[in-house]
Amino acid sequence: MSQLVQQPFYLNGAGSVITEPESIRKIPGNSAIWVGIFSELTEFAMFFVIYFFSKAHYAEQFEQGPLHLNTLAGTLNTAILISSSFFVAKAMQSIRANRPQDCVRWLWGTFTAGMVYMLIKALEYSWNIDQGIHSDTNYFYTVYYYMTFNHFLHVGWASGSILWAIYRVNKGHYTVDRHAALTAIACYWHMIDLAWIIIFPMLYVLR
Amino acid sequence: MLKYKLTKLDITWIILMIITLLNALVAETAEPSIFITGLICISIAYKGRLVIDDFMELLNANKTIRTLMRSYFYIIPALLFLSDLFSEQLANISRVS
Repeated sequence: MSQLVQQPFYLNGAGSVITEPESIRKIPGNSAIWVGIFSELTEFAMFFVIYFFSKAHYAEQFEQGPLHLNTLAGTLNTAILISSSFFVAKAMQSIRANRPQDCVRWLWGTFTAGMVYMLIKALEYSWNIDQGIHSDTNYFYTVYYYMTFNHFLHVGWASGSILWAIYRVNKGHYTVDRHAALTAIACYWHMIDLAWIIIFPMLYVLR
Repeated sequence: MLKYKLTKLDITWIILMIITLLNALVAETAEPSIFITGLICISIAYKGRLVIDDFMELLNANKTIRTLMRSYFYIIPALLFLSDLFSEQLANISRVS
């Protein structure tokens, strides 16, 4: 505890919190969520390895594939996910500053971003089908659908966890002194954003 | 006059958005080359680092978790670059006869 007093933890430039309960030199949230996060990242890493080998074997398909995807949809979804991560970080700031209603507002922003992401992705899939792009069109699109639909599912259930967090904050279960579970949910959401940060350039930008 | 002081979080968000737009510009205009691949890989590593340190707040958190998370965003972009640079060799060693 004396170490905490000697070295206050600065929260994203918004002030110092010397009694921060779960972050400084500690595991944010809880250990269980990090088992989940590293498991998910391992799963995505396997997709990336499949992408590396597939691209090496079917170079032409992977060079032409991104040209036929909807870059606008991919870019919009990247911007939305980055913003949603920003909203979650703001929600964490708010709960630590003892402003639960602000926290709820930021969490609603995150949930809305998750829904908009899913809507855009659904429209993108529909647009793909109109262009004759299916999961079995070629190896690039198989990897594309496998990776993006898997990510889509993660956004779906993580949005559910954000709804749960909103309910818990509203009920007063997460407070300035007790919000480790909210931190865990926030970390999981950031992980989803991190996965997309790799997926977007892989599928939409690089050829 | 309304004054709003940008916090570190706001600045991180702005930087991430700018990099994303630049990535989109590259997607629409640039011809594929190993230089572009390298540039994109660096942008992935940098974006990941920003999210991990500032949004996820791992900068001051548990060292093992921070190191593992940061490593992920060094290793995957590096593999992405190398798999592009040595694509023929990768195809040869993984060819099933």
